[in-house]
Amino acid sequence: MIRFTLNGARVSLDAPPTTSLTTLLRETLSATGTKLGCAIGRCGACMVLLDGQAVNSCLVMAFQAEGRQITTIEGVDQIAIGPALKQGLTQANAFQCGYCAPGVVMTLAALFTNDPNADEASITAALTGNLCRCTGYHSILRGALQARALIQALP
Amino acid sequence: MQVWQPTSLDQAALMLSQPGTKAIAGGTALQLDWARGVTLPHTLVSLTGLLPTGISQTGDHWHIGAATTLDAVEHAEIPLISAALADIAAPGIRRLGTIGGTIGWGAGCLIPALLVGDCQLETTAGPTPLPGWLAEPNGLILSLTVTIPQNAQTIWRKVGLRAAFSPAIIVVAGLITDTRALATGGGPVRPTRLPKSETATPAALHATLLHEISAPDCPFRTATYRARVAANLLSRPDKISPAIPPEPLPNALTPDGHGWHTRPDMAAKVAGTFPFLTDHRVPDMLVGRILRAAHPHARILSIDTARAEALPGVRAVVTHRDVPGLNAFGIMWQDQPALCADTVRYTGDAVAAVAAVDAATAEAALHLIHIAYAPLPVVTDPEQALHPDAPALHPNGNLATRLGLTRGDPNAFAHAAHIIEDTYQTPRQMHGFLETEGGYAAPQPDGSLLIAVGGQHGARDRQQLARILNLAPDRLRIITSPTGGAFGGKDELTVQAPLALLALKARAPVRLHLSRAESVAAGTKRAPMRIRMRTACDATGRLIAQEVDLLADAGAYASLSPAVVETALEHAAGPYLIPNVTTRGRLAHTNNGTCGAFRGFGANQMAYAVECQIDRLARACGLDPVAFRRLNLRGPDDTGFLGQTLAPSDRLSQMLQAAADSPLWSAQGPGIATGMALNWQGTGLGTLPDDRAGGTLRLAPDGKIEVLCGLDEMGQGLLPGLQAVISTRLGCARTDIRPVVGDTGLTPNAGSTTASRGGYVVWRLAELTTPDFARDMLTAACRRLSRPDGSLRLCPGGVAETTSNSATPILTFADLAQTDRPTITAAFDFPKANHTGGNARFIFESGATLARIRRDPLTGEIRILDLHLHTAAGPVIDLASYLGQIEGGASQGAGFTLTEDMLYRNGHPVTANLDTYMMPTIHDRPHRIAVTADESLDPGDPYGPRGVGELGIGAVTPAIANAVATLTGRWPTIAPFQPEALLQ
Repeated sequence: MIRFTLNGARVSLDAPPTTSLTTLLRETLSATGTKLGCAIGRCGACMVLLDGQAVNSCLVMAFQAEGRQITTIEGVDQIAIGPALKQGLTQANAFQCGYCAPGVVMTLAALFTNDPNADEASITAALTGNLCRCTGYHSILRGALQARALIQALP
Repeated sequence: MQVWQPTSLDQAALMLSQPGTKAIAGGTALQLDWARGVTLPHTLVSLTGLLPTGISQTGDHWHIGAATTLDAVEHAEIPLISAALADIAAPGIRRLGTIGGTIGWGAGCLIPALLVGDCQLETTAGPTPLPGWLAEPNGLILSLTVTIPQNAQTIWRKVGLRAAFSPAIIVVAGLITDTRALATGGGPVRPTRLPKSETATPAALHATLLHEISAPDCPFRTATYRARVAANLLSRPDKISPAIPPEPLPNALTPDGHGWHTRPDMAAKVAGTFPFLTDHRVPDMLVGRILRAAHPHARILSIDTARAEALPGVRAVVTHRDVPGLNAFGIMWQDQPALCADTVRYTGDAVAAVAAVDAATAEAALHLIHIAYAPLPVVTDPEQALHPDAPALHPNGNLATRLGLTRGDPNAFAHAAHIIEDTYQTPRQMHGFLETEGGYAAPQPDGSLLIAVGGQHGARDRQQLARILNLAPDRLRIITSPTGGAFGGKDELTVQAPLALLALKARAPVRLHLSRAESVAAGTKRAPMRIRMRTACDATGRLIAQEVDLLADAGAYASLSPAVVETALEHAAGPYLIPNVTTRGRLAHTNNGTCGAFRGFGANQMAYAVECQIDRLARACGLDPVAFRRLNLRGPDDTGFLGQTLAPSDRLSQMLQAAADSPLWSAQGPGIATGMALNWQGTGLGTLPDDRAGGTLRLAPDGKIEVLCGLDEMGQGLLPGLQAVISTRLGCARTDIRPVVGDTGLTPNAGSTTASRGGYVVWRLAELTTPDFARDMLTAACRRLSRPDGSLRLCPGGVAETTSNSATPILTFADLAQTDRPTITAAFDFPKANHTGGNARFIFESGATLARIRRDPLTGEIRILDLHLHTAAGPVIDLASYLGQIEGGASQGAGFTLTEDMLYRNGHPVTANLDTYMMPTIHDRPHRIAVTADESLDPGDPYGPRGVGELGIGAVTPAIANAVATLTGRWPTIAPFQPEALLQ
């Protein structure tokens, strides 16, 4: 039995200990907001927060999730900056097909929570592991900067 | 695989002494190894919680606990070491991996930095220097100490296959005080110090390094390249100085203000609630998996599925024996089996499929299917494939297509002052959509079948599937939208046939989503091309003659590759007038995967060759690139390449002027140069294929104005485009419009979402439906409100009085829908040329692309500083979509040019997943990008906006190539450009 906290709710389930967290989310729990793009940590579509840090959920094995706090895109509004982050990215039309979007949102959620003033260099460094095939990244950067402005204006 | 979680190091050591065990710290490296086929251990012994974490400093010595994450070390500001960490993997991985784990793995980019820092390990077997431990690992690593003198000058550089997040080609590390510590390593390079070089005189250092560095070849880079760049980086000061930005483009599109609308699907995409077809889940849904060929070319002797069928939880196993209709598909001709019966021709060929209660069971069942093969000789090269003695993949041999033309005098080269001849090679580019192929199929209560898989033309998918399933097309409902990127790679059938067969046999809904590795192996790619081009001009610079000989590698099956070759040849003269032309195109079958449609569709490959030839001839004549092009540019009244009359609104001369006026030419610096190329892109399918389109506008019961259109939303912005064109004409709000797309059960056939045809189709649909729809709506509203005809107008949300400026409707659309629901349907042809002697395009769009690049003199790597895309494609339908298409296309063009290629060796993919297929990361993006749009049309031009799906990618490659040539004097003729060829 593996137990962890998912978006504030306690979860316990049976799974082989080496099952990836992405598989637990998408297959066992049908929480499909987290996307599967490569399964080897090379695209970032599956990014979640593990104890507040953005990690590739495909590289987290079930036994490593034991006792941890996991936040997925479904729980992003529980993060203080979550709604403003989403609003900025939405207004800027940051994405096209949108399959990379949940991973990008989770990466930026962790970044801006830690540093609401993150500069463009920090934003690009944080997004190193998030591949997007549609946009060429400029719209994502514009969205991140727009989101940062909204986050900085939060009370 | 099981996991043991010891509670003490002694217990861990005991466990690890047992056979079949493997220690795991963060586990990130292990999982990558497993994905590459390294044998799984029987038992993992978790070291979590047993090893020290934390970083402390004593003078020049840094002590790091083995369980410290790579991320923590990166942020500890340890000279050299933290910089090295920032180049390892990506942040999400560095937060999981540990420093002890990366050393324990025995490879990786960090080790050279540790070696020059004189790293000492503390292990359960006692203290040991790092080199000793690497030679003979013993015990578990507890902590390490590195020594970085405070006044030391540090050298760190990782050279990979792209700007960041890449496998290492080679890494170099150095610590310079009064002595010199140097090391190399990374990827396949054995990590080692370089003692001879460390004591060499400064004058002898470079030569000593070249002699001392030992590095292997790999499929991506040569040993020589590795040694040369490492020697350069360790012996020469960093030569890169900051680049001064150019003057901004005053007329660049800006992503805000007028015309900027939030896409209707954006909020759901950002929230993760957007309904991708591969996310669909219903109770009791089975999970499907496909068994792929074990060989690139083999006879199938027998297929035994008995053990798989007997596995508890398996609900259906299908093979070729379960195909009731034609066991073949292909958009142009049907040469690819839905499930192979007697022969496999590439490693992605589907042989069987399984549906089971869950993914693990389906996966397990695949391993229980026994196929006996007799391997056949593998055809790996398109040239050799056409040799008479080559093994034939298909009954008609390996030549899939041959076409070409001769116009004018083939001997005109005799009168030339300058002739340039070269062969340009282009990559097997992968579409790389983030959502791999997949979706679900579900038998319906009425006996019909719903198949919901991301695609680009539902009506054609239905036609293909009806043939395979031996069902009437009206027994199939095909949903193709939305999908997470396509770019041509979902134009052909992907997983639909096996998925449908599983659902029919299991009589249950089945979902199926390809793993990335399977998508890489099975999906169509861009056909690699070798384009030999010979181009001549006279002494004044006027083009006289051109010969083009194109050979493309189709891989195993045709799909749309014959049309790609044909399209490439139609673009063989680019936008230039060449009186004497000979073209020949051949498409050969090999066992190198399989190819098909990809954004650009042959035109961008041909533009690479043409636009390089033009710059080379310009140089030969002593003309600048703009002047030479101006001299040879086609005029608005000239016919097309095949002699066809073209649609009006040629904007080539305006685009050329924009290039001439570009601020990029003057913004130069060391290692920096600018190049240009023109875009001339045909749109639509051409004269010969059926190119019908249509759609319906109707008022829905809830008061939304629905636009039903069979095109597909793949991310390009079909939904905002439909909202824009309809709402503008009706005078209502964008939000009054509800697009319904990509569903043969609901939407009229609109043709394929390919060939830059969507923009025109959307606009024309609005042109044809909105006048009658508005009339019917207003007639109904007048009747309803007992007003005279002509007294009302449509407004946001409903109808208003023509004489009123009020924003509030006097009758809402929802109210009107209670009594009246007007519906207007239109069907039309995509405009065609008057030429049927060959497949000719009618509507062309123009552009100019300029790239300002910088070459790293030490590594030969190219980075794009500025990319300017001047476009002329008629009125912009939706600003965000337009900008997105140009920027995104340009990014794929940059990948094609600099980093992307799928390699095969003996018919097996070398490039198996995204760890070795190098799509651009955010660090690879052009540092700045600017797009302009000339929206004008000639007076009376009836064709409206042109689609812009392929304009962005069209001329990026030659623009970069021409910039490279300015720096090196040589034109790169192999894409992706090899840094080795660009080293000084």
